[in-house]
Amino acid sequence: MSTLEQLKDQIRKALPDLDVVIGWEQGYDAMHATPLYIRKEEDIDRLIWSPLCVHSLGTYLTGLTRTPGAGKIGLVVKGCDSRAIVQLTQERMIPRENIVLFGVGCTGCLSHARLEYKVEQGGHYVEDMHSITFKGDKVEVAVNGDVETFDFDTVCLEKCLTCRFPNAIATEHFAGEEVPVAPKCDKAPSLEAFEKLSLDERFTFWQDQMRRCVRCYACRNTCPMCVCRDHCISTSRNPHWVSQETSSAENFMFQMIHTMHLAGRCIECGECQRACPVDLPIMLFRRTMVHAVKNTFDYVSGADPEATPPLLTFKVEEDNIKERGW
Amino acid sequence: MEAKFISQDDTTLWLDELAERHVVLAPMWDNTVVTFRPHVKGRTPVLDRMPVLPPKEGVFPQNEMLLKYKHDKDPENLDRTRVQVKETLPQETAVVVGARPCGTRGMLVFDRVYNCEKIRDPYYVSRRENTLFVTVACTRIESTCFCHDVGSHPADTEGSDVLLVPVKGGYVAEAVTERGEELLKASFFKSAAEKAQEAEGVKQANRAKLPEPHDYAGSGEKLMARFDDMEFWTEQSAKCISCGACTYLCPTCYCFNITDDSVGLSGKRLRTWDNCMSFQFTLEGSGHNPRPTKAHRLRNRVNHKFAYYPELHGVIACCGCGRCIKSCPASVDIRAIVKAAQNHTPKQEEGSDER
Amino acid sequence: MSARNGVLSDTRELRVVGFLCNWCSYGGADTAGVARFEQPTDLRIIRVPCSGRIDPLFIMRALVSGADGVLVSGCHPRDCHYAEGNYYARRRLELLKQFLPITGIDPQRFEYTWVSASEGARWQDVVTKFTNRIHELGPAPRMQGGSGYDELCLKQIEEGVKQGPSCPCHKERAL
Repeated sequence: MSTLEQLKDQIRKALPDLDVVIGWEQGYDAMHATPLYIRKEEDIDRLIWSPLCVHSLGTYLTGLTRTPGAGKIGLVVKGCDSRAIVQLTQERMIPRENIVLFGVGCTGCLSHARLEYKVEQGGHYVEDMHSITFKGDKVEVAVNGDVETFDFDTVCLEKCLTCRFPNAIATEHFAGEEVPVAPKCDKAPSLEAFEKLSLDERFTFWQDQMRRCVRCYACRNTCPMCVCRDHCISTSRNPHWVSQETSSAENFMFQMIHTMHLAGRCIECGECQRACPVDLPIMLFRRTMVHAVKNTFDYVSGADPEATPPLLTFKVEEDNIKERGW
Repeated sequence: MEAKFISQDDTTLWLDELAERHVVLAPMWDNTVVTFRPHVKGRTPVLDRMPVLPPKEGVFPQNEMLLKYKHDKDPENLDRTRVQVKETLPQETAVVVGARPCGTRGMLVFDRVYNCEKIRDPYYVSRRENTLFVTVACTRIESTCFCHDVGSHPADTEGSDVLLVPVKGGYVAEAVTERGEELLKASFFKSAAEKAQEAEGVKQANRAKLPEPHDYAGSGEKLMARFDDMEFWTEQSAKCISCGACTYLCPTCYCFNITDDSVGLSGKRLRTWDNCMSFQFTLEGSGHNPRPTKAHRLRNRVNHKFAYYPELHGVIACCGCGRCIKSCPASVDIRAIVKAAQNHTPKQEEGSDER
Repeated sequence: MSARNGVLSDTRELRVVGFLCNWCSYGGADTAGVARFEQPTDLRIIRVPCSGRIDPLFIMRALVSGADGVLVSGCHPRDCHYAEGNYYARRRLELLKQFLPITGIDPQRFEYTWVSASEGARWQDVVTKFTNRIHELGPAPRMQGGSGYDELCLKQIEEGVKQGPSCPCHKERAL
């Protein structure tokens, strides 16, 4: 039985006790998937599972679990997605007992931005892509009568290259085979390249990038870790943290707010950057914070439901923080 | 006026020349996406694709300073605080080059609300009168395009001053307005001759690329019939994450917010884009919110575009550019929502529940 | 763009913001004042009840709003007036220090330290050292520019065009 068939079976059996199961279905064209809310048994047939299923569905949990009268909620989760649930459980932010997770092993997700770039480099128009097939480590795209083949590593999301959690963890169900942990590289290539820039160059880079941010907050709203939702301080008037003005400085300040509030919590799902309509490279911030947390507290977020997030505790003698010389 | 032709290379030179007298907003690579940026000499505009951001920022910038103010004491009477106010009306003339017809068409939606009998917004009017639109006809129809469903098409000239139709080697330029004609007097424009025929061919070919049009006639009434059906709207908005990507990228969305940014005793009054998908949009000072959930807010957005605005002004306030669908992190599809309302069949038990 | 090579020989005052905990560090600053120790005057102090009150965003907001340097001072670890506040502060501020470089803001512009109420001389030392360091770094670059067609945007685009494809902020199609 394929992973998808197993998954459908598991959901079918569990659905009578659940309000809803959220998964993915085919989107508005062959190249896109979209979240699917399964409420009735016939909805299950629409479920798909492929590298198109990029969305981290945990982002809906906060809203659903806080609705009065909410029952049990089912969620289909990839490895990275399941880390969000684990982290939220550590923080007691969600009623874990009311959530049923259907886990899968993931071999990577498609990056539309990278795929479109490669297709264009090959001399085709992006809109002429009309089907996509995933064949292990290759991707075949039918575009305008031709079939272009790409290495999956060149068109996958950058987070997949460094993935250490390909299999969903701490789930009630698991469909399909477990995927071996085999990250392609230790550090994200874009971060490696960025760290070669001088401080001045970095500052100018952000000043320039932040200019096109429209403060839509897609990055914030799609983040599964963002639980403040409508009460986020970035949109509060009192205290007034950021101005309505979308100047580079204010947009940058918002990114600082988001990154700081994710310190020790960010699970590197990369949804923020994927969701950004103007493709801001904001994962550079998040990844740096994740590395800082790992180096200082030897802590990996979303790995152990019993762990305590590092910023919620302390040690009298810190292992990796040297008392300053002055 | 007869059609003119301008070569690809001359287009950049023409923009260089325009930039000496006007602010020229042209599409440019902004890291990995194309946005409208001021054109400067040496930059080649990117005219072969629809920019991610809409051209409305030419006449409706995301941040606009309405006035500056300063508090001080009245020297005659030190108990009184005065406030000095200085309005800052926009002065520059601008040309927005490189938008697609769907984007420029959005200006009509704006005009009906910002510049009408009852209201003339001086900031908007000043920019609108001082801005020209040079639109490029569309040759790249995407799966998210539906301009033909809402009364437009890939070579629509509504809202533009000049239409550039891509042909081999350059563009055939058609003047749409008198001011457009003035622009085409620049030396870079030659007579189009037989290229005019090629341009017509391009227009027709791209019109044909669009799928069968969907009739949105009557969608307003159907949507209003679903107004109280919160189950319908909860289902339709289930995927939505209440960000503002759709609103800020939409060429026809025109809501704004006014805030005062003070530092000490002086500051500025800012008008900025606002988005109805956010909780704060209708949040009242008392704490009450008439649109507390995303179901309410999505209902408002869809109804505004396909029911309220058409009822008041006669046109659908959606230009079919598809940016909202493409850029939505969850791929919420406004076409699907309106179609769901149109196709909605009342259940047996409902009886005459329809409004 | 920035005056990082601070060939700044003028004695203009730079803006250094200090977040001091009420009990130890503010007391220490008071002690330094009472003893009339001479210090540079660039530091402007904001008193907080405890270093644990300090949100790293205070420091970010100060730096983004134009501060040239930010100094945080609290009770020594194991000596917090509220027992644990400074332990949390230590964790948060250490993370901030490690995070700052990715933003292009010089991490030397932010420092956190521990000064107790009796350490007036130490306070003088800390302030003098930090202020001198900020003066050496020079005024901090301000992030400028907004949307639309402001003059600065035009200038920056022109400069980027002149630099050609090696300009880091106009690298087209980064990953």
